[in-house]
Amino acid sequence: MSSATDLTQDFEELSNLGRAWRRFLRNPAAVIGALIVISVVVAAVLAPLLAPHPGHAGSFVDFRNRHIAPSFAHVMGTDNVGRDIFSRVLFGYRVSLLLVVGVLGVAVPLGVLFGLLAGYFAGVVETAFMGFTNVMLAMPPLVMALAITAVLSPDLVNSMIAITCLWWTWHCRLVYRVTKSVAAEDFVEAARLAGASHFHVLFRELLPNCTAAISVKTTLDAGFVILFGASLSFLGLGVQPPTPDLGTMVASGAQFLPEMWWEAVMPGLAILYAILGFNLLGDGLRDMMDVEI
Amino acid sequence: MRGDPILEIQGLDLGFAAYGQVTQVLHGIDLRVEIGQRVAVIGESGSGKTVTMKAVIGTLPHPAGRVLGGSIRFQGRELLTLTRSERDRLKGTDISIVHQDPLTSFNPVFTIGQHLDDVLRYADRRLGAATDRAGRQRRVETTLRQVQLNEPERILRSFPFQLSGGMRQRVLIAMALLHRPQLLIADEPGTALDVTTQDEILRLLNQLVSEEHLTLLMVTHNLAVVRQTADYVYVMQAGRIVEHGPTRAIFEAPRAPYTQQLLAAIPPLYGTRVQRREALTTDAFITASDLAKRFVSPRHWLEPARPPVTAVRGATLSVCRGDIFGIAGESGSGKTTIARMIMGLLPPTSGRIEIDGRSIEDLRADPAFRHRIQIVYQNPASSLNPRRTVAETLAVPLAFARSARRGERADRTRALLAQVELPAHFASRYPHQLSGGQKQRVAIARALAVEPEILVLDEPTSSLDVSVQKTIIDLLLALRTQLGLTYLFISHDLSLMRNFCNRIAVMFRGEICEQGTTDEVFLHPQNAYTRALIASIPVISDEEERAKPSVTLEERRAVLASTVQL
Repeated sequence: MSSATDLTQDFEELSNLGRAWRRFLRNPAAVIGALIVISVVVAAVLAPLLAPHPGHAGSFVDFRNRHIAPSFAHVMGTDNVGRDIFSRVLFGYRVSLLLVVGVLGVAVPLGVLFGLLAGYFAGVVETAFMGFTNVMLAMPPLVMALAITAVLSPDLVNSMIAITCLWWTWHCRLVYRVTKSVAAEDFVEAARLAGASHFHVLFRELLPNCTAAISVKTTLDAGFVILFGASLSFLGLGVQPPTPDLGTMVASGAQFLPEMWWEAVMPGLAILYAILGFNLLGDGLRDMMDVEI
Repeated sequence: MRGDPILEIQGLDLGFAAYGQVTQVLHGIDLRVEIGQRVAVIGESGSGKTVTMKAVIGTLPHPAGRVLGGSIRFQGRELLTLTRSERDRLKGTDISIVHQDPLTSFNPVFTIGQHLDDVLRYADRRLGAATDRAGRQRRVETTLRQVQLNEPERILRSFPFQLSGGMRQRVLIAMALLHRPQLLIADEPGTALDVTTQDEILRLLNQLVSEEHLTLLMVTHNLAVVRQTADYVYVMQAGRIVEHGPTRAIFEAPRAPYTQQLLAAIPPLYGTRVQRREALTTDAFITASDLAKRFVSPRHWLEPARPPVTAVRGATLSVCRGDIFGIAGESGSGKTTIARMIMGLLPPTSGRIEIDGRSIEDLRADPAFRHRIQIVYQNPASSLNPRRTVAETLAVPLAFARSARRGERADRTRALLAQVELPAHFASRYPHQLSGGQKQRVAIARALAVEPEILVLDEPTSSLDVSVQKTIIDLLLALRTQLGLTYLFISHDLSLMRNFCNRIAVMFRGEICEQGTTDEVFLHPQNAYTRALIASIPVISDEEERAKPSVTLEERRAVLASTVQL
């Protein structure tokens, strides 16, 4: 196949990519979103280098410097045991992104696979998969997460498992709908008549037609996963101290509201910043790829 | 006064702005419509005919559409300098338009009555005339009777999907007539409809023009329709008017090479230009006897059982090796169902199909069978995966083809493209980089890749312009002689079948009502439906008009009354 593609060079597709890229650049919200996401990723990866007080990420205690308001030395202030909040936010992004990668890395392929199967094979497969998906969708997410983390112990991995169990259903629904409409097109039957296997039809014919919708949804989801993870931590069901997690930081800082406002507000703003970035990027991608979510 | 111009377009230049530059699409259009005249603008897709109409009625895409120069005068008033509200007052009242697509022109959640009442109410409001609901209702009903819809109360209560295509087209015409316009613009009237229904719609338009003192400006790609309905013709190509003149002159002595080419591309129904196809052999290859298909919709526990739909019944046909066998019929007549049963995609409810002496049940179990019969679909947009290049699309069948080993695939791809007369570098193109005709060539190449013996052609040219259609048909004919293929050609286009098929079966409501060699069927049609069907095909010369079977008004009525469409 690759040899056939090499017959001659054709740069028209390249210019199409170029056109999509230009359309993306013309959308200021999308560009800002992309920049925010990049900054969050850089902050998380390079946290040990960027943080002014890398040691504060752990169980560091400095009671002389507790509850210091944002200043030049501590841009986001310090918390109730004297740790630099800015440094902890940078490390907090690591946990958040780990959560995003862990959850979406499992939930998206799973949901896509189930959605493809349910959308392509009508009948029993469709009824079974979509029935199960709809039952899962009917469960209140927080209650479900509560149940899972209560049975297992509350920590990062278990909250990942809890969120993953809930998340794949949305991708399943989305891919199911796209697959169902694409599968009705003549080229699917033509491929089958040419002798293609179900495997080929599912992954080589149908899946490429779903990628636009999947990538937009995944980007939008990244923000929501961070938010959901933060909610779990806020309730004490997620990451446990002293690991810096944005949700836990908001929860512990909330005790000192309103006087020491920065202790809850700063990590809260950090959550807002990351989610805003992912949402703007997702919206921009949607405009660029022209898909409905 | 008759003879005075109602619409005059002079030197109209128009462009579309995109990516910071303006692309000119109309170049100096001059067009004149006189009161009481029936004028047609004809051209293929992309010729600018619809854009011209949009400029007249003032619905150019905003803000992309730009008038670059020229003038449009309606009843002596310059339209291009009118303010938006002045222009809106003309819309629907002095100038009306009948849109092309009778289904998407309606909002599916409103009844026909609501649609018509809205049109009338808003137009009245624009004119500053307050009207009451009952008065409007009376006017709507009168107009519906004018377009020969005889149960206005029932029609008004119906939702668009409850009406047939022909009825929806009539309602659209009624909608345009509500305000007794001076000028009626018709965009591809009847094109989306079956030929018998289209014939009725054209008759209706003709009648309205003469009875209601209307002026008709028609936009179409169908030359035969023009000959029947217009007094004066403008031919457009690539944003320019290449020829204009009285209809008779255009058809009998076209001057512009483009017009000549267009006329030559239209398959003739009768006369010396008709192409005759001969069977390559006389040995029976595909035989179907007493074939029937009934669709039973699955029983739902909340609904009463729906009666089964009989799509095909009692169909018996025999196709020889190397035949071009046509299955003709209007929409819903069961022609595609027969083809799908022969392909082994649908199990018949009863009856027998044999291919090359073996029964279809036997063949379906054999994986090699699938390669003996392939299909080319109607809609090129849907038959190619938008995410796969031409080479990738061809790679699928090549991977399973008997002759192609791995290393040979690039060669085979190149050979296939050459066979369908496409340059080799098209291999790396995506479907959106191809024109409709090129896509159809790729679809043919894909079908040929597994070296089939039978090709099912499901209206392969119906979405293409007539000149492109000719090139595809020529290609298919060349391939048949080259590869000894047998074609099963499904179509509603009888003039095309006349020139392409050597045998033909005419289907009507699930039954084959007439079958024979193409000459037999067209020259001596026996069945009343076949006669009415052939008689309603628009043709491009008087000679052909005279050669058509004569059908009395009563005969035509009887057939139309029994069709699903009305």
